Amino acid sequence: MTPREKAILELVRLSEEEQRIADEAEKHGESGKGKRKIFQKYMIKDIVFLAIITCCTLVTGAIMPLLVNVPLFGIIQLGLGIQFSLFPVIGMMKVKKPFALLLQSMFISIFLVFMFPPMVLLIACALVAELLTLLIFRGYRSDWACVFAGTLYLPLTLPLLYMYYNVFYTVSGEEKAAVSMFIGGGNTGLIVGISFAVLAVCFIGSVIGMVIARELKKAGKLK
Amino acid sequence: MAFFRNKRNLYPLIAIASALIIMVFGLVMARTVVCSYFLLGAFVWVILFGCYKQALKVLPLFIVFGGAFALIAFFSSGKNFDGALAMANRFGAVFLAIIPSTSIQAVAMTRNLSQLHTPRGITLGMLITMSFIPVLRAEIKRVREAMRTRGAGSILNHKIFYRAFLIPLVTRLVDISDTLALSIETRGFTLGKSKYTVYKREAVNYMDVVYIFGLVAGIVLAVVL
Repeated sequence: MTPREKAILELVRLSEEEQRIADEAEKHGESGKGKRKIFQKYMIKDIVFLAIITCCTLVTGAIMPLLVNVPLFGIIQLGLGIQFSLFPVIGMMKVKKPFALLLQSMFISIFLVFMFPPMVLLIACALVAELLTLLIFRGYRSDWACVFAGTLYLPLTLPLLYMYYNVFYTVSGEEKAAVSMFIGGGNTGLIVGISFAVLAVCFIGSVIGMVIARELKKAGKLK
Repeated sequence: MAFFRNKRNLYPLIAIASALIIMVFGLVMARTVVCSYFLLGAFVWVILFGCYKQALKVLPLFIVFGGAFALIAFFSSGKNFDGALAMANRFGAVFLAIIPSTSIQAVAMTRNLSQLHTPRGITLGMLITMSFIPVLRAEIKRVREAMRTRGAGSILNHKIFYRAFLIPLVTRLVDISDTLALSIETRGFTLGKSKYTVYKREAVNYMDVVYIFGLVAGIVLAVVL
């Protein structure tokens, strides 16, 4: 056996051993402590990926300043539903740790202040969505937990913006007509219909996000 | 103008506060003519304090979008001038608020937040989100060029958009994030409670105070007069 062949064999043996150790560690993690541990510490790579994916959400959501002035109930959520569910779900699928959504909403909120200050309420929405997900799914191990959180994230702003328009716009006094349009003109059917439409749009966005993340995982990109 | 520009940028938190003040006041008072005067004054004021580049970038956008929506409001409200004015004022407030906010440099904002002992993870995330936009734009351009080279077809086709644009873009972003994380770690950045030094500290200058007081005075005048 030549020295080259010996080296190749040694390399193969080493890689097999590494793979075996990794498999064992994974197995141990799933059955042991790792399974029970919901809250995990954030690493720099998690923060970096969440920030980059938030940047995608921000860039694709830059139409917000135009939508905020269109007096139609739920127009912001309808216009931003896909972007604000697709990218956050990819983020959560890579960083499967609680409060990944909350971190994303914190990163984006500083920019949303300039586009439309009430959208800072996204932080509260992210917190509620995360808490519900943690209660129901006990973490983000399941891909559907990410979809669930991603679907709820933006629609939760609907009631908050409804309150905002009721309180804030009435300051102007004369704008009853605009307020009425922003909050659906008291038409329950319209409000319910648009709310369901927003939920559907966000669900579609979340599922696309999950499909992309699964594909990347299959390709060995999302570890 | 040079007299007012005695330092490169506004203090980040004051710039944010001023953007909020302009936007909230503009939206609340949108239906009044006084609001238009205030917005005009505020526009000149931010230019005097060194934001003229941002102002010149935002002005055409406001003219196009604000004008278009004001026209829509004018005709949809039965040729009512008040409706058009309110719409133009709203767009004016939103676009004007963008001017001081875009004058903030990502590093200045990070330094400012670090001085205020904001958690390191949050400042790092905000810094990356703020400064990643040009990189993202370049990556999108590259992916589109690759699509053209391969003759992938129209991006408007959802299958092509997904397979040839979205997947390569996200893959590239994952690669960039891994490299960036490694690069940050090798520079000694940690998320723990380790001590750190802000070498170039952001300080409130008297011109910042003049700037914010000028805006508040403008609001008071607009309300009183």
